[in-house]
Amino acid sequence: MRGVDDDVLLSLEGVSFSYPVSAGLFTRYKIPVASDLSFSLTRGDRLGIVGLNGEGKSTLLRLIAGVIEPDAGEIVRKKNVSIALLALGVGFNPFLTGRDNAILSAVLMGRDQDWAQLQLTKIRSFSELGDAFDRPVRTYSAGMRARLGFSVAFNMEVDVLLIDEVLAVGDANFRAKAALALNQKLGKGQTMVLVSHSSSEIKRVCNRAIWLSKGCIQEVGDPDDVISAYEVFT
Amino acid sequence: MTLKEELRFIDLTARMALRADASTLVLGYVWWVLEPILYVAVFYLVFAVILDSPRADFLSFLIIGKLPFQWFSGGLNSCAMSISGAQALIGNTSIPKSLLVFSKLQQVTYKQVAVFALMAIYLVTQGSQLSLSWLWVLLVALAQYFFTATFAILGAVAVCYARDFARLIQMFTIFMMFTSGIFWDVRVLGPEMQALIFAFNPLAFLLDSYRQVLLYNGAIDVARLMLLIGAFSGLCAILMIFVRRNETRIALRVLSR
Repeated sequence: MRGVDDDVLLSLEGVSFSYPVSAGLFTRYKIPVASDLSFSLTRGDRLGIVGLNGEGKSTLLRLIAGVIEPDAGEIVRKKNVSIALLALGVGFNPFLTGRDNAILSAVLMGRDQDWAQLQLTKIRSFSELGDAFDRPVRTYSAGMRARLGFSVAFNMEVDVLLIDEVLAVGDANFRAKAALALNQKLGKGQTMVLVSHSSSEIKRVCNRAIWLSKGCIQEVGDPDDVISAYEVFT
Repeated sequence: MTLKEELRFIDLTARMALRADASTLVLGYVWWVLEPILYVAVFYLVFAVILDSPRADFLSFLIIGKLPFQWFSGGLNSCAMSISGAQALIGNTSIPKSLLVFSKLQQVTYKQVAVFALMAIYLVTQGSQLSLSWLWVLLVALAQYFFTATFAILGAVAVCYARDFARLIQMFTIFMMFTSGIFWDVRVLGPEMQALIFAFNPLAFLLDSYRQVLLYNGAIDVARLMLLIGAFSGLCAILMIFVRRNETRIALRVLSR
């Protein structure tokens, strides 16, 4: 994979992708979810992606993260750039404590065990779980689980953070806290790709936006313009 | 990830999964030894009591065959879904898929350490002498680990391509149970048949080697054992390289279900 220059962290050039589906021994078909996508991401970019359900937004994040590879086109990543999906509760085991799950989740997301141990105080504090941090996760409410997941994932330090609809977690207070933490991260120059159904969130957080429809880029540019076009369509 | 990080990953995820598993059961970790005891009890009831096996040492013979076999069958069956069952994880991370297999295999291996300890305690209570020659078991166990790991990786990847393989793996372990000399002695067969079974079923040779060391104080075929270690560690490495080179293809298989 060749590298890209200067502040361009990654670029997509004519990327197309279809999910292969097997329906029996001899029946196979493909569902196209990304078609001829081209754009680049420079350091400090905050790219928002909008679109209806099933239009390829999450697949695009997986392509950027390198979880899957395009059928056609190329994704060029700058050498040594770290990219991670901010996925809540990755690998959570309901029968383990919040503490154990925090370590497990961080390790599953590619972090070292020692690093995870060092982050525990910060994760416990940010998640506001208190003593429940040492209780099995199966005793948590959905909001508590989401808070723990967000606290672990948000602590991951990566060059490009990929966020898929996970900012609306927990109660109103925690959402405000999560938004503040995100703003602080972005203020420090964090590069981010955000998939969201919330137009206001895209406008508030992002400096660029893409409207994805049937796997194609319908509109790209200033978030206000893209969101306006998207809202007229929907 | 460096090799050290990968080994720590396997160890941590295996220990966490075992802790979680134990917490779901009233008897928790006791099941690590209770389960194999119950298996042996069932086999003993059928073959020694109902079918009236003529062997005086049948229980020891059975234990040394059945308990190591559990490591193989448990490893294969639990690893079968280790990749295809981790859809959420694979969809959100780029975690090397082979680590998922080895994490599952490590869970079974940690349990097996307790089972081997139980086996040794039983043999000592039956009058067997603890001796340095028992250390040969480590070499036999190493060969069994690589043998199991090879089939575990192969099975886990195959299941990603077609879930039907999970059923075949179950059938395969049953086939191996009946052909590896767990409740019958390979050595009562003629030399030609014995050689044939040892050649085509390494597990039969390994179970026999455990018995030679622990039950009969006999010599084991070290050359064949080293050959098995070399062959299956090599196969294991080749399969791991294959998985590493096809990470995204395997991920796609899992995600497109």
